[in-house]
Amino acid sequence: MDAAQRTSSTRAGWAGAGPLVQGFCGLIGIAALLEAAPRVGLVSPLYFPPLSTLIAVLAAEIQHGLFWTALGFTLQSWALGLGISVLAGTAIGIAVGSSSIVLATTRSTIEFLRPIPSVALIPLVTLLFGTTLRSNLVLVVYAAFWQVLIQVLYGVQDVDPVARETARSYRFGRWAQIRYVTWPTTLPYLMTGVRLAAAVALILTITAELVIGTPGLGKEIFVAQTSGAYAVMYAYVIVTGIIGVAVNVLARALERLAMPWHPSLRADVPA
Amino acid sequence: MTQERVQERITQLGRQAALALGLPLVLLAAWWFFSSGSSNFFFPPLATIVRTFADVWFSPRIVNDVVPSLVRLFIGFAAALALGLALGIPIGASRTVRNVVEPALEFLRAIPPPVLVPIFILLVGIENAMKVLVIISGCVWPILLNAVAGVRALDEVLESVVRSYRIRGWARLWHFVIPGAGPQIFAGMRQALSIGIILMVISEMFAASNGLGFSLVQFQRSFAIPEMWTGIVLLGLIGIALAFGFRLLENWLLGWYYGLRRSQRGGA
Amino acid sequence: MPRLSIHRLAIAAGLVTLAAASGERAYAADKITVGVIPITDVAPLYLGKEKGFFAKQDLDVEMQLAQGGAELIAPVVSGQREFGFSNLSSILIAQTRGLELVAVAPGASSTGEQGRDFGAIIAPGDSPVQNAKDLEGKTVAVNNLNNIGDSSVKASVRKAGGDGAKVKFVELAFPDMPAALANKRVEAAWIVEPFLTLSRSQGAKVVAWNLVDMAPNLMIAVYFTSKKYADEHADIVKRFKAAMTESLAYADTHTDEIRQIVPTYTRITKELIGKLTLPRWPTEYGRASAQITADLALQDGLVTKKPDLDALLK
Repeated sequence: MDAAQRTSSTRAGWAGAGPLVQGFCGLIGIAALLEAAPRVGLVSPLYFPPLSTLIAVLAAEIQHGLFWTALGFTLQSWALGLGISVLAGTAIGIAVGSSSIVLATTRSTIEFLRPIPSVALIPLVTLLFGTTLRSNLVLVVYAAFWQVLIQVLYGVQDVDPVARETARSYRFGRWAQIRYVTWPTTLPYLMTGVRLAAAVALILTITAELVIGTPGLGKEIFVAQTSGAYAVMYAYVIVTGIIGVAVNVLARALERLAMPWHPSLRADVPA
Repeated sequence: MTQERVQERITQLGRQAALALGLPLVLLAAWWFFSSGSSNFFFPPLATIVRTFADVWFSPRIVNDVVPSLVRLFIGFAAALALGLALGIPIGASRTVRNVVEPALEFLRAIPPPVLVPIFILLVGIENAMKVLVIISGCVWPILLNAVAGVRALDEVLESVVRSYRIRGWARLWHFVIPGAGPQIFAGMRQALSIGIILMVISEMFAASNGLGFSLVQFQRSFAIPEMWTGIVLLGLIGIALAFGFRLLENWLLGWYYGLRRSQRGGA
Repeated sequence: MPRLSIHRLAIAAGLVTLAAASGERAYAADKITVGVIPITDVAPLYLGKEKGFFAKQDLDVEMQLAQGGAELIAPVVSGQREFGFSNLSSILIAQTRGLELVAVAPGASSTGEQGRDFGAIIAPGDSPVQNAKDLEGKTVAVNNLNNIGDSSVKASVRKAGGDGAKVKFVELAFPDMPAALANKRVEAAWIVEPFLTLSRSQGAKVVAWNLVDMAPNLMIAVYFTSKKYADEHADIVKRFKAAMTESLAYADTHTDEIRQIVPTYTRITKELIGKLTLPRWPTEYGRASAQITADLALQDGLVTKKPDLDALLK
């Protein structure tokens, strides 16, 4: 690919390995920690079994349909919630951010609503939607939406006025302006927002399932916890972590696809 | 300041205040109007909520619950900032470190707070340390990620200049890396602040005996619904106050950045 | 689960035949949802469904899981769920706050036996705490503050001659209690199965049987619905009560089958369920114990006015 990567592959040892191997090494480090901590007594192995036990339990779990159904529910919730958040956040962010008046007007409302935790709204949500996908979605979207919105607002505000003036003098219409001026500036911010929102959406999906009891991985964690089956509980937690890694890999890939021109994705500045 | 300037400033402040308060007042009025006849147990009239607000919060509760919560929030936030920068800058700087560390970080980040709480209880018990740890565990991520992104996006030309002048170590960090990544780091800090408030509440939902989040949950459980709503409103107010304070700080520290952008763009 | 499908097939076949024979009214089962916590207390509901007691009453029961308290009561109030299972103290608190709830059947009760109950106050094996009076000035973990936990612990302390007000309560979820106790983060805890057995197998000792101390044969939980639903669907409520009563009676006398069904809706293993103490499942309300619960709720400040037991336990 580029100069930095070619150089890295000729460097010795760790730096020479590809990014996949390197990432794997990092995960191995975590795995070693999870195996060692209960064994040396940092945490009691009764209440936090070592990784080998958890993997054995997980291997048994995967063979049951229950696991895959729960996984399906969680991913469905997550994907839907994330999709809605990104669309709404981008649309509203661009609309609000493009006009300084609207931005100034809505700023205080945004700052008021943002810090209200979705979990505080759980009784109200279960009241309205019960133990359904919709309750999950309300909680997930409410949390993830802000991540996207704030980032898009930052992005829209960062647009170079010279570029904007140039577009105007070339008589770009509203759409053209958004497409050629606002969008490229906003895109890096949006990508970070999507990455953050994806992680938040996952956390909230699992949390919602845990607290409300909606079907999914979170519910399995909850049932295991209430039954004192700590090994099963943490086995499912590990699955959650793995999904988190997968989500991040996906987000990074999306970033590369959407913005190959951005400096942070070209060469790296060795600091 | 001349008479004219003073008048100009007052008008400016007035306009800012009007803009800041305009929409909320409209929404509040709408809420008041639509909820006034409400007999729904879980959505009481706004009038009831306002009435209850003073009873609940203008009392020893401020000292016993709100202050400890805010103190934990600040400690957690500060620690998250330190940790986020200490980890983020080196991670952003080296592609190798980033490749190694990123999947591991994403793994840890995906674990939801209600599940982290039992783990933290195992590690540090049920006192303040656990709650601060929960706050750190959430706040560190936006700061870390934005620090990484900020460092990655440092201007290449500037970096070459710094290198050719042989500026290394602390001087390089202080004069090149931090100012360069500063705006992005501040964006991360802003995110972390909101997340911090949310986690402050979540951390007090489990194994707590005081705090704003604790009060909220106790109200929920004992079906003291108007009181619960006042707690939610208070959270929003605290969010606004902290965001406002943060913006003042940002203007002070990043004034050079905004000024630079403004002048680069010809005063727009 | 072979028994389940055979029973269901038989009943379905029977119903279909009946429907075909009668021709006039379709005996379609009414769908109802019951909110429960995945614990041993609600085993009769699951067993009753498996045995067909609910299908017999033309009820198609679906269980939905929740953590407890507000998540069980709020959906019933709003009509999202028809029935729920909740501990009595939470229901009393909700009622005094203006939520109109009606009990439908008793849920679970303490065994009433000192030395053998499904919940107790425990302390680390080497703790200086010997009896409930020693809990004065100590930190005791309960799963919810201002609920049955601290009420019953205070009752135990009072019974042992101590002052309940001197106990320091801290809130901790049951699953987190064994570790917190072992690591001396708390000095004692009110704990229920399966964590009671787990903790005792780690060396914890029982300080007092607080549910037994609080009232004889304490009715700790009930199945309930909203008054609105009870008024509008009196027939369904009657049938649910009948099915529930049959399930409770069966459960109380067939504990071996209970021990078989618990692992199907929880993660409690077959080995563990054999070691746990089960609650009792009387078919009548423990009226006297409920009165004591209500009186103590008022005395301990859980509620600010007297709960109306007559309206609740019709």
